[in-house]
Amino acid sequence: MTDNTVCSTEELLKKSSEDVTVIINGREYPAKKGEVMLGVAIREGIEIPHLCYEASLSPYGACRLCMVEKRCRDRSEMVTSCTLRAEDGLEVVTDSPEILRHRRMILELYLAEAPKSEVIKSLAARYGVTKTRFFKKTDKDDPLGNKCILCGLCVRVCNEIIGAGVISFVNRGPYTVVSTPFSGENSDCLGCKACVSVCPTHAIVTGDSGDERIMKSWGETKVKMRECPVCGNYYLPDLLAEKVYAKINPPLSKNIQEMCPKCRSRNIAIKEISASSNRR
Amino acid sequence: MKTELPVGIINRENSGLKKLKPDIPRITVGLATCGAAVGGTAIYERLRESIQKRNPDLSLVPTGCIGYCREEPIVTVAHPGKPLVLLNRVSVKDCDDILNAVLSGTVPHDKALCRIEEWDHLMGHNITYGRGFDEIPLYDEIPFFGQQKKVILRDAGIINPEDIDEFLAVGGYSAAYNALRNMEPDTVLEEVEKSGLRGRGGAGFPAGLKWRITKEKKSDKKYIICNADEGDPGAYMNRNEMESDPHMLIEGMILGAYAIGTDEGLIYIRAEYPLAIRRLKHAIAEARELGILGENIFGTDFSFDIQIATGAGAFVCGESTALVASIEGRTGRPHPRPPRLTDSGLWGKPTDLNNVETWCNVPVIIKNGSEWYRNIGAEKNSGTKVFSLVGDVEKVGLVEVPLGTTLKRIVFDIGNGGADGKAVKAVQTGGPSGGCIPLRLFDTTVDFESLNAIGSIMGSGGIVVMDEDTNMVDIARYFISFATGESCGKCIPCREGLKHTLILLNRILAGKGTAEDLDTLKSLSETIAATSLCGLGQTAPNPVLTTLEYFRGEYDSLVKL
Repeated sequence: MTDNTVCSTEELLKKSSEDVTVIINGREYPAKKGEVMLGVAIREGIEIPHLCYEASLSPYGACRLCMVEKRCRDRSEMVTSCTLRAEDGLEVVTDSPEILRHRRMILELYLAEAPKSEVIKSLAARYGVTKTRFFKKTDKDDPLGNKCILCGLCVRVCNEIIGAGVISFVNRGPYTVVSTPFSGENSDCLGCKACVSVCPTHAIVTGDSGDERIMKSWGETKVKMRECPVCGNYYLPDLLAEKVYAKINPPLSKNIQEMCPKCRSRNIAIKEISASSNRR
Repeated sequence: MKTELPVGIINRENSGLKKLKPDIPRITVGLATCGAAVGGTAIYERLRESIQKRNPDLSLVPTGCIGYCREEPIVTVAHPGKPLVLLNRVSVKDCDDILNAVLSGTVPHDKALCRIEEWDHLMGHNITYGRGFDEIPLYDEIPFFGQQKKVILRDAGIINPEDIDEFLAVGGYSAAYNALRNMEPDTVLEEVEKSGLRGRGGAGFPAGLKWRITKEKKSDKKYIICNADEGDPGAYMNRNEMESDPHMLIEGMILGAYAIGTDEGLIYIRAEYPLAIRRLKHAIAEARELGILGENIFGTDFSFDIQIATGAGAFVCGESTALVASIEGRTGRPHPRPPRLTDSGLWGKPTDLNNVETWCNVPVIIKNGSEWYRNIGAEKNSGTKVFSLVGDVEKVGLVEVPLGTTLKRIVFDIGNGGADGKAVKAVQTGGPSGGCIPLRLFDTTVDFESLNAIGSIMGSGGIVVMDEDTNMVDIARYFISFATGESCGKCIPCREGLKHTLILLNRILAGKGTAEDLDTLKSLSETIAATSLCGLGQTAPNPVLTTLEYFRGEYDSLVKL
């Protein structure tokens, strides 16, 4: 990110120490100045639906579900709570009739955009939306199984946290998709599956086969897996291992580095046991 | 405000005056993109060849566009001591007649549109051409011209945009010179604040306030940017401003940079404007050569330079955050504000972004003072605005009027009503995201608040006239189709909502719509307007919402009720 005032909630919280009081649905809650309001709501157990928010990433504001009414004297304004920063006395309402009306319409749009997503279906159902008036997107060849809602979490985690930049938005407007360059294999992919873990609609498909991890949704990108010399299981993508081990200082000893986590803990346990029995 | 210009500049100013009012006849050809497109280039070449062959003492120069698109190509002739005569609808085969007439000391009367005896360039330099040719109407007697007030377009079509001498000769850069030598930056800023100038890009945010916010931010580096990504269908005010008078923009930016306190400016211009880009580059080079841009401008401590960044063809890049992303080499997608550009703009630094026309207003404000400027226009809407009056209107062209002028005056008095005698039904203001205003509301004045009140927007200044043959549902479809194609795809209401709006409109136009579809159309449009991330989505449903409100009958007749 070149935008240096945009930073993740966690970073901001570390910087900010000022305690403020915010008002959500008429009740007062403590917060840190500058913290995003959606984060406050999540902490306090107040339900605001959201699909593109992740505390460790910079605010994005694209799914539009977390919109709340910001009350300011006699005026009110609809804003996304994932980009709204806490300040003393800030008052928001999360479920006014106006908000609910627009939220339902957006959920209908999501039902049409990601008709195969169970997550979207159940989220919509919670707001009483069980069917959509709009044409459903049905693409038999969609590598994301007609489940992608373009929240951008996968793209952002790959860029901002993993630093690999394997996937990006392609095309624009209603033709936008997330894909690798030219939808082909991308050798920059570490196979870390961070994208899979942040995807709110479980749209990204992967599969491990022998010594390969196949990122099926990302142009069938194949990533070499590391074999455990002890048990013979393939347990970690090679590129990821190199990247992670390079960061460990002092480095792991050669003989444990090669092992899978299970064998490593067994190895350590055996060593401990034999050492303690020797002592005895 | 008397200014003592440096000798080098005074020499160029005098040379410019000799070019504008030479002691030999001067012929000009309107060669903005519009003039060139209807044959101006061929006319210019033909005249140039003939003059070379016959070797008479004539000066031939290209100019920008005087704004009367319907009458193009426009050629002007000025004999020494005689009025400047505008010839309209000139073609290549008229060139010999023109030359023959000019050589015998007259003008081809059958081609003459009007004459200009004196012209006020508003920068303290009136140009008096002279009297004569009384049978040709005066400029002010032409309704299209007479009812306009030219402030921004004061030089357009009169001076050669590729010659800084002529710009200097009409008082150009005198405001910047005086400000840099004799005014504190704060005084310049205060003048702009007091003038009440509001952003001409569409939103109408007070320009002086935006400058102040940027100025008061603490930062080692700040930028100013000119937004020249004009992309509304039917709107070409900014193109003409840059093609006809590029130095006016540069002077405005110098004044802004001085007031705000920055040494770097950028012009973000769409690649679809090659001539404007060429003329701006040329103008920047000319200004640098004279020490008007670069280090120590006019020998003062103030340094400032301008770079040009070209867009790659996305409408949404006119949105401030997307524009900055595009300059930085990222995909042009907006991000939520705050942070605004004034907090964190280009390369994360405080940035002031203004539209071409906003910058162009600054020199004349500084030259003549905020009070002079406030007397033009209406309450809280000072100054003039350039509109491109297009569509089914008799007199198509660029129209500059004080803010607060009624639509009726623009469409009927200046535009002379519907083309081919057809009845006017509606106008659409503000580009693809403006609303369609029915004839019965034509007493509405064109200012930021009045247009908002009836569901439309000022936008950058497009006025598209629609006549009785227009199907308003089809018009809504056209604009939604445009917005759908230009949506960046980041947020769902704009990406999916507009797509489904288009599908609904297609279904209704195909005669397969139902009354429920109309309800869906309305509530979907409201959600898109209320929940979209940036201005594109927030305003895109305006054509649907306004046609549903003002032309509901046309929808009803298309659906099975």
